[in-house]
Amino acid sequence: MLKDISIGRFYRGDSVIHKLDPRLKTILFVLFMVAVFMLENPYAIGCLIVFAVVLQIMAKIPLKVMWNTVKPVLPIVILIFVLNALTIRDGKEIFSWRRILITDTGLKSATLMSLRLLMMIFITSIILTLTTTPLKLSEALEKLFGPLKLIKFPVHEMAMMMSIALRFIPTLIDETDKIMKAQVSRGADYDTGTVLKRLKGYVTVLVPLFVSSFRRADELSTAMDARCYNGGEGRTKLHPLHITLRDIIIFIILSLCAVALVVIEKAL
Amino acid sequence: MDFIASARDVRFSYSDSDRYAVDGASLFIEEGSYVALLGANGSGKSTMAKLLDVIEVQDEGEIKVFGIDTKDDDRFWDIRRNVGCVFQNPDNQIVGTTVEEDVAFGPENIGVKNPELSERVYKALKYVGLYDRKESQTAYLSGGQKQKLAIAGVLAMNPKFLILDEATAMLDPVSRDEFLSLAEKLVREKKISILTITHDMTEASRTDKVLIMDKGRITMEGDPKDILNDVPKMLEAGLDSPIYSKLLWELKNVTGIDYPIDNARSIISSLRYLSTRFTGVRIKAPQIKKTDRETLISVKDLSYRYEDKGPYAIKDIDLEIKKGELLALVGRSGCGKTTLITHLNGIIRPQGKGRIEYRFGDGTFTTSSKRDIKKIRQKVGLVFQYPEYQLFEDTVYKDVAYGPKKMGFKGEELDKAVREAVKIVGLDESVLDQSPFELSGGQQRRVAMAGVISMKPEVLVLDEPAAGLDPKGRREMFKTINDLKESGTTVVLVTHYMDEAYEHADRICTMKDGMIMGVEEPCRMFEDKEELRRMEIRSPYLRRFLEILSIRLGLDPVSRNNLLKAQSIRQAALMIGGADA
Repeated sequence: MLKDISIGRFYRGDSVIHKLDPRLKTILFVLFMVAVFMLENPYAIGCLIVFAVVLQIMAKIPLKVMWNTVKPVLPIVILIFVLNALTIRDGKEIFSWRRILITDTGLKSATLMSLRLLMMIFITSIILTLTTTPLKLSEALEKLFGPLKLIKFPVHEMAMMMSIALRFIPTLIDETDKIMKAQVSRGADYDTGTVLKRLKGYVTVLVPLFVSSFRRADELSTAMDARCYNGGEGRTKLHPLHITLRDIIIFIILSLCAVALVVIEKAL
Repeated sequence: MDFIASARDVRFSYSDSDRYAVDGASLFIEEGSYVALLGANGSGKSTMAKLLDVIEVQDEGEIKVFGIDTKDDDRFWDIRRNVGCVFQNPDNQIVGTTVEEDVAFGPENIGVKNPELSERVYKALKYVGLYDRKESQTAYLSGGQKQKLAIAGVLAMNPKFLILDEATAMLDPVSRDEFLSLAEKLVREKKISILTITHDMTEASRTDKVLIMDKGRITMEGDPKDILNDVPKMLEAGLDSPIYSKLLWELKNVTGIDYPIDNARSIISSLRYLSTRFTGVRIKAPQIKKTDRETLISVKDLSYRYEDKGPYAIKDIDLEIKKGELLALVGRSGCGKTTLITHLNGIIRPQGKGRIEYRFGDGTFTTSSKRDIKKIRQKVGLVFQYPEYQLFEDTVYKDVAYGPKKMGFKGEELDKAVREAVKIVGLDESVLDQSPFELSGGQQRRVAMAGVISMKPEVLVLDEPAAGLDPKGRREMFKTINDLKESGTTVVLVTHYMDEAYEHADRICTMKDGMIMGVEEPCRMFEDKEELRRMEIRSPYLRRFLEILSIRLGLDPVSRNNLLKAQSIRQAALMIGGADA
């Protein structure tokens, strides 16, 4: 059940997106997030969807993997849709029953808002999480935020923490699954009862999960010590980051796409 | 002789404890040697390993590794970068998301530059046989592959000294053999010294020297042949001995004839001794009591896949579990054992035409019916691997009471169930008010088992109940299991230890690639060597030894067949010792 969640999971491949320098990817990610926030026009959002699909094809990620990535956030998307549809009361009435009023403006805005959120997840996972290993991503952040070291900000440590957190997501998901099965076989029930009762039920999962996370943290730090980890100073890299001409070309094309989306938005 | 590592009168206590974990230990490891460090759980072995790699620094005494004092602040990095450690839990020592990233982690830390860096990484991966998977994700490797990855990560540092801290404990027999051959290859080819911490006496018997640790100090050391064959002493230390020396020891108990200790030193010397005394004996058939048992659970046409159109985790399973029997389930990691047992109490429901039927005292039930599920969960108790990791309450009492409470036990009945369960697993009632998190690992395991036994199940499914325990803990665990069986509980036991399955099970069910290869009585199932190879099953050590022995003793075919029916060392000793010459 929990194993289907693929947030933070890397999808192995050798597409142009996979090979793109992670620093450039991070910058692209920021650009696109800004663009997505600015879009309101349906045509611009239409273009965005087309663009996202093109990206997916470029990254050679199967639809099924995309679906698993998007699935866990669907409840939030639906919630946003419903809230928008219900709260916006101006525009032409489409449907009304007692105090519920749904208008065309409300429906339109609800659709746009939820599509935008969906596209955010979609693009983030294609550009970053699915095509970049956590270690590469943290390396990119370490480089991009490098100047902050001057003001004694622990850039390397933050990056390391992030990559370990991402590395352990699949392990902890598996572990949660195991603990839940064990407690279910002792009669625990996580699916029925009031919300409060269910939340209380999760204590039986969370306590063991915390205990084991601490144990893991302890063992991992010993293992890292044993492998001579001593902070970022003097570390070398197996595959040092370097930007190729192809990276630059792809970067320019993709950032022009982001700019184009904003231009379409403003022009219409 | 040069020592790669030496420790003199070392004492060390962790900051959160007032007890010395290492208490006056001295040890010497010669260059190029392969040394085993044995000892009960909690005897200080792992702490000793940490001290040798300067992950902790001793409070008293002196440790030198490569001649460098571990207290020398300027030079301890020279120790660490030349000592490699592989720990027990593969998941908790992998840092990288992909295989090559992880192997590179160590050399990157010590500042090795390309092209040497990539050369080291790929050479190490080729050495352990993972080069083809260099871009795979670490999270999806099997347990055996993860441990090989850990070795590669260490090899890439070009270590002179390797410490294996129960590195094979979580592996299946085939992976374990592969891992051990790899370690032996390192000693032979690369002249790396190895210190291996282990509970596996067969592994220990393959080393050059054995150290025994007890309560923080080294109590015995020497040639494995001398140390391990001293059966009474080993049992007393909570450890175990190889089969051949235990057989001689049991023969002594049976016949009253003492044997000179030298005769139990190795397989060869014990065989020679036995053949001078027992050549040509005629061995009678063992008395096997046949009990007809009724079927309690019947599994029919069960197939399961975790994803639509994905691979089958189990396929076309037909299995009958008999009332009151101990059924062992064996097979390599990933062969579908866990998927099968999670079906047994309805955590996973059968897919398609699969069906599981239960004939309990009060009627017939099936997991296909939603109403029956609760009953089935109570009647079929499932204890997963490392069950101590699911404890959550603040007292032992509450944790053990959680299950029965959910099943509707109340008041006095509940209290009785809790106290009985704690007694069955061999714990004192005084632990009931303690926090489970303050107990030792072995006690926690027992508390977790009590939490299932307290629901009064008719069937108990145990997944590797003795994993990670020392030999004494294993023996006690099997005593508990046999007691449960005696009291009428049906037991399904998943295990990697063929000798334990052989000794304790009424029937053994073998699985491979999600399918059942056969269900047999133990004494019948290891006859066909070809068949065993096909099923990827190893014969029990006992049987392998008895096969050689029967040839050395020149037994007639009937006697040979009879001897091979012995399922325990004691039984074999009784058969040989009580036979007519």
